[in-house]
Amino acid sequence: MIEFSSLIAGIALLLLLLTAAAKGWLASRPLGPEPAASEEDATEPCPAELVNRIFSREDWEFVRGLKAGGIERLFEQERKRVALVWVCQISAMVRKVMREHAQAARQSKNLRISTEINIFAQFLVLMAVCGILSAAIQLAGPLWLGGLAHFAQRLSQRVSKVQETIRAGALSSAREAGSA
Amino acid sequence: MYMDVPERAVTVEEAYDDLLRRSLSRISGDLARLIYLASTRDYNTGQYRHDGLAARFRTDIASQALELAHRQIFYRLAEYPLAQLVGEVELYANASQQGREEILQVWQKLEPYRVALPVNVNVALAQLFVSNIKLALAIVRRRPKTKSIGASAS
Repeated sequence: MIEFSSLIAGIALLLLLLTAAAKGWLASRPLGPEPAASEEDATEPCPAELVNRIFSREDWEFVRGLKAGGIERLFEQERKRVALVWVCQISAMVRKVMREHAQAARQSKNLRISTEINIFAQFLVLMAVCGILSAAIQLAGPLWLGGLAHFAQRLSQRVSKVQETIRAGALSSAREAGSA
Repeated sequence: MYMDVPERAVTVEEAYDDLLRRSLSRISGDLARLIYLASTRDYNTGQYRHDGLAARFRTDIASQALELAHRQIFYRLAEYPLAQLVGEVELYANASQQGREEILQVWQKLEPYRVALPVNVNVALAQLFVSNIKLALAIVRRRPKTKSIGASAS
């Protein structure tokens, strides 16, 4: 009985992750008239300090201290917009990395299944986190989500680094094959 | 070609130092410096122009030094906490020859600060900057004229 309920819980969790991943993918699309993050923009490095600034509570404390309802509303609206652009950017960057990786993997002759599964799992988790972040930002605003945002940034950096390592490895083995 | 690279880098650095010393140090506040640097950029070509700097160095070196300064000041401003940016907007509005109220109103309507962004900056960072300026303008507008606090006057 316990095993059956664990299985159900596992399936529910997987469905939740897939839904969030799909939401993350949808969130990575352009947002309308404001400058949204496209995949070309995503190649620009994202300054580490940016996450601190967007999700920081320091500015919110300052605005709250002004005791002006209009400014508070404007602040919430603006921060939400910036946070969503950031999520789009991270999501677009990761999708670009994954697309490049998939192209490289198709041409590779010595694929390691465990590495591929690991990368794909990280990609799924990241897209899920982006989806959750995107939904949570729209519902509650970005001020409570600093931890999750930092997690998403660290994970996206890790995915990029793994991809760079694989690309460097593929290049050196291609060079070796060429010289042999 | 190999020898050109370090020589060129040093020259841009020299032009940059010259720009800081002669021009930018005389401008109060990073926001005013950003607007000044953006105004040296041609709208059509995106090239920066400064006759004095180009006369002391070369046109292309001057252009690179201006672009470098523009990007650096932008990155600095984009990372300012909101309270500090409010000080910058206040300083800029108070120091301008037009009336403070007029400047604030026009800035809110036309959003000229959007044109002051360097090219190819991170989209989210650019969005944060624009958004913070918008907020700072709203905050400054509801305040009575005060002496600026927290702005980078030097």
